[in-house]
Amino acid sequence: MSSPVRIQPDPSFVRELQAAGGESVKKCYQCATCSVACPLSPAENPYPRKEMVWAQWGLKDKLMNDIDVWLCHNCGTCSDLCPRGAKPADTLAAIRNMTYRKLVGPAKIGEWMSSSKGLPYLAGIPAVLWLFIWLLTTGLSIPAGEIKFSKVFPGDFTIDPLFGAVAVFVAWSFYKGVTNMWKSFASLPTTFEVGAHCEKPTLVQAIIDVLRDDLYTHRQFNECGADNTERSKGHWALLAAFVALAIVTSVVAVSHWGSKVPGFHWLHALGDTPMVLYSPVKLLAIVGTVLGFYGLTMLTRRRLNLDAQKQGSSFYDWYLLGVIWAVFVTGLGSMVLRLAGVAGLAYPMYYLHLVAVFMMIAYLPWSKLGHLVYRTTALVYARMSGRKPLTRVEDKIFEI
Amino acid sequence: MSGNAILVVGGGFSGITAALEAAEMGYEVILVEKNPYLGGRVAQLNQYFPKLCPPSCGLEIQFQRIRNNPNVKVLTMAQVTKVSGQAGNFDVTVSIKPRYVNEKCTCCNACTEAAETTVPCEFDFGMGMRKVAYRPNIFAFPQRYAFDKAKCSEAEAKKIEASCKYGAINLADQERTQTFKVGAVVQATGWKPYDVSKLENLGAGKLTNVITNMQMERLCAPNGPTGGLLLRPSDKTAPKRVAFVQCAGSRDENHLNFCSYICCMASLKQVTYVRERVPGAEVTVFYIDLRTPGRYQKFLEKVSADPKLSLVKGKVAELTQEGSGKVLATVENVETGIKNVEEFDLVVLATGMQPSVAGEAVAVNAPRDEEGFFIGSPDSGVIATGCAKVPLDVMRSAQSATGAALKAIQTVAGR
Repeated sequence: MSSPVRIQPDPSFVRELQAAGGESVKKCYQCATCSVACPLSPAENPYPRKEMVWAQWGLKDKLMNDIDVWLCHNCGTCSDLCPRGAKPADTLAAIRNMTYRKLVGPAKIGEWMSSSKGLPYLAGIPAVLWLFIWLLTTGLSIPAGEIKFSKVFPGDFTIDPLFGAVAVFVAWSFYKGVTNMWKSFASLPTTFEVGAHCEKPTLVQAIIDVLRDDLYTHRQFNECGADNTERSKGHWALLAAFVALAIVTSVVAVSHWGSKVPGFHWLHALGDTPMVLYSPVKLLAIVGTVLGFYGLTMLTRRRLNLDAQKQGSSFYDWYLLGVIWAVFVTGLGSMVLRLAGVAGLAYPMYYLHLVAVFMMIAYLPWSKLGHLVYRTTALVYARMSGRKPLTRVEDKIFEI
Repeated sequence: MSGNAILVVGGGFSGITAALEAAEMGYEVILVEKNPYLGGRVAQLNQYFPKLCPPSCGLEIQFQRIRNNPNVKVLTMAQVTKVSGQAGNFDVTVSIKPRYVNEKCTCCNACTEAAETTVPCEFDFGMGMRKVAYRPNIFAFPQRYAFDKAKCSEAEAKKIEASCKYGAINLADQERTQTFKVGAVVQATGWKPYDVSKLENLGAGKLTNVITNMQMERLCAPNGPTGGLLLRPSDKTAPKRVAFVQCAGSRDENHLNFCSYICCMASLKQVTYVRERVPGAEVTVFYIDLRTPGRYQKFLEKVSADPKLSLVKGKVAELTQEGSGKVLATVENVETGIKNVEEFDLVVLATGMQPSVAGEAVAVNAPRDEEGFFIGSPDSGVIATGCAKVPLDVMRSAQSATGAALKAIQTVAGR
């Protein structure tokens, strides 16, 4: 039968995993209820049962190279049915958290992101940075006259270069992370097919399929066993909000920097800030904001109402929700205070907004928001390798 | 009755054994049983461990001992409604339901023939029907019929009364209470099969071809609804592929948070029922861990040598039934890492043992754990035994009951 395999347990990894949200992992007694309960789990080497035993032994390499933790969409059906309260859903979430932490360096950011102890550093960096800029521009004073945030934080010389550098750093980290992931997935055994040969999609086709059939429809959320309406709607709305606000930011950036190119001066009309309220770009921003608040409310409410016996929330979950809340609240606050003409509050609010945005974007690959890239990568790989959920046999009655 | 009498609550194997051990030492015993017959769960089995005897084998000896011992007073269809006092000095009230059949009954079956109304048979877990005037089971002790008067019309009751030429039907029978003074109480209220309607992913008891292990015992018992033929409920055909689902409710914090001790052995035993009754039948046992207490490992070795039996590590977590009556079981085989949907003709749930009185108020004031098992405390004069205390097989129930009898005697001796 099988040849003996020597394994190298890593107890310190188990402790880290338990701290990252998988504290109940040792309760698992390998009954495999979870693998059956999961509606997304495939027939061959289904998850999450095998991840539970790997996690109990601290088999770091297996877990870090595991595509399945990303195919899980964390509906919690496995935890609901788990007879030991071992919370497989939380364990998979913890493995994802460990991946955010370990997949790419610098290790320090991964460590800061892993618990509330890192919060002073995470918030401190942008807080000092933006305060320093404020000191340089107006000497920390509130400028007189019409409220224009560029008086304190001029785009061209502070915000844009800074966030530009951050974006390059984040993109480079993601590039390394995705390459690492892709290589590790390639080491997995390929899917053995029985029956009719099915055509495997190309990379481009797989990306299109994932965007169209998975991300746009939120299919996996709705196929998950438990009632996910609140989560599915909330997550969809928040994703849509991010897309809308990304478009707005892009338009502003392109019109601003594009208009400096000779012959493209007209571009500035598109995105000069502050915009009038009825400009299409501003309207899109407002729609994005509304969707964002709706999504945040749904997702936060769900998390607050979780049955602690079945599913918990880790620092990663609360950091992400907290930072997005901060971005939206301070963003809306800045606009409202600006329109209300309360300069003494508007500028500090905008300062907080910049801190929050920095906290969301600069640490993206090490935060839970990294799933935006990593999960998408895994979904694309799964499409290409043909790793699909077990299809249930349907009851067919033929009447003649 | 004096202060050194002993009350035994429950007339199953543990209760009978405790009562007899004490009675044969010369102590007065009142044995209270809520069913119309003694023998409890054992009476419902086809065969029981350790020697796979039919239940009549062991119970018959016990019934003889009761019959021959004037110290044992047996009350059937009775429940203890009140217990007051302390060790050595309890006042006990027992309420006895009307049986409507007196001691003149000769078991001639005329009343059953005269009766028309049928109701689902409790003894067969609802798989068969019985008349309202009925013999509780073929070797019921006391060997006397019972009559469910409330379930039929006045006219039918009169007809049934008239059918008895011995005057054994007494329509005027009434619920009555008796009081006793005892020195010790042996709590032997036993167990009940876990309620499968709570196992939602396993069909919640709504799938016709998914039965419990106790129903399987009745299906295979010669005195069962099919006369001992293994026929699946939906179409009364012999199942060619049978699955056993272990830990159906046991070792599960959402249901029974403990191992029921005997279900693995019960399923292995029932594998032999299938293999003896249906030639060529294939059997699969899906388990988390196969637990074979003590010498039972030998039995596992013997049964697992059968090439038609597969033992698969992996818990069935989803059962559905098709229109054809086939039951689909979804399970991950932990050893191969393959999740599959398999088809079976019949699925047997190894439902666990829940204390009979779990979640219910009882007259005896004795501490219970969170699952409803009695925690024995001899100082209080209440001694728990058998499956009321912990899940056990018949042999160990008898051992436990003998110990309980001794503790009861120590409590009442010299008073």
